[in-house]
Amino acid sequence: MKNIIIIAVFFCGFITQIEAQKYITKNGKIEIFSETPLFVIDGVNKKVASILNAANGNVVASTLIRSFRFEEALVEEHFNENYLEPHKYPKAIFKGKIIDFDKVNLKKDGTYNIKIAGKLTIHGQTRDIEEPGKIIIKNGKISAITQFNVSLKEYKVKIEKNYKKAIKDNILLKIHFDYKFYK
Amino acid sequence: MNKTIKNILILVAIGIIVGLAMVYYVFNKPHRDIEGEKPAYKVEAQKFFAEYSKDEIAGDEKYGDKVVEVTGKIVDITKEGKDISIVLNDEMEGINCALNIETIKNNKDRIDRLKVGDTVSLKGKCDGIDMIMGIVMTQCYIVDK
Repeated sequence: MKNIIIIAVFFCGFITQIEAQKYITKNGKIEIFSETPLFVIDGVNKKVASILNAANGNVVASTLIRSFRFEEALVEEHFNENYLEPHKYPKAIFKGKIIDFDKVNLKKDGTYNIKIAGKLTIHGQTRDIEEPGKIIIKNGKISAITQFNVSLKEYKVKIEKNYKKAIKDNILLKIHFDYKFYK
Repeated sequence: MNKTIKNILILVAIGIIVGLAMVYYVFNKPHRDIEGEKPAYKVEAQKFFAEYSKDEIAGDEKYGDKVVEVTGKIVDITKEGKDISIVLNDEMEGINCALNIETIKNNKDRIDRLKVGDTVSLKGKCDGIDMIMGIVMTQCYIVDK
């Protein structure tokens, strides 16, 4: 009987330990970039949130479209009013997981090449994505970086006729999270 | 020189100058002046979160993209690089306010004095509500009363 209690207590401790392996950031960063001879779209959003579950590699990330800031006020205006339409679709959300997360050793400093797969929702459209990325462990801190292109067409972001030549269909996203231990 | 030709040349010159000025204005259009804008709403942090989270669509409709002045208790101050975010009300049911980069530079002492537990009023642009961050406000300024 005593042994059962000890084993039960041990497992309870084990389970809470797994549950506690969550990491969070509320100050992640997404940079978006696109360049044509006519136009440079150069924006950044520093209010991106993400939670990483280190027990299974599950990741969620979310941000608000209106938090993007652009070099040029005109681009910011167009981004909001004509393209991403945050009054209709205020959020962008990613839900998925880091494939091969088990090869990341959280206790050992280093850079690990990983793949991120899941569902990305932008402009009310959800698409499956699988993109390469990196997990960087430094002094016990976890950072995640990835960069990939998204096609405006795929997410039903319409470009006005006059700007067809000025804006490329592929927009580069650079994403950076510095996670903190989630109390 | 013929007077008519002279007048035409002057008109063309004016046309070019106006055209260039317009192009210059469009590409150098100033950003929205959040600091100078009068807040559309003045709210108390707890009530703000309660109202917004109860009906996000109605909240977006009312507060989205508006300049809002929110007063509440500081529960977290995060510095990352040059950026500072202040969370009001509650960690999970918070108003997450990113300070304007210029105001961080210009009011360093004032911002350094802020600490968890203080009550503060911040004015900024309401970007919406997020499942992790709570209500997000960007380009925030401290309102001294």
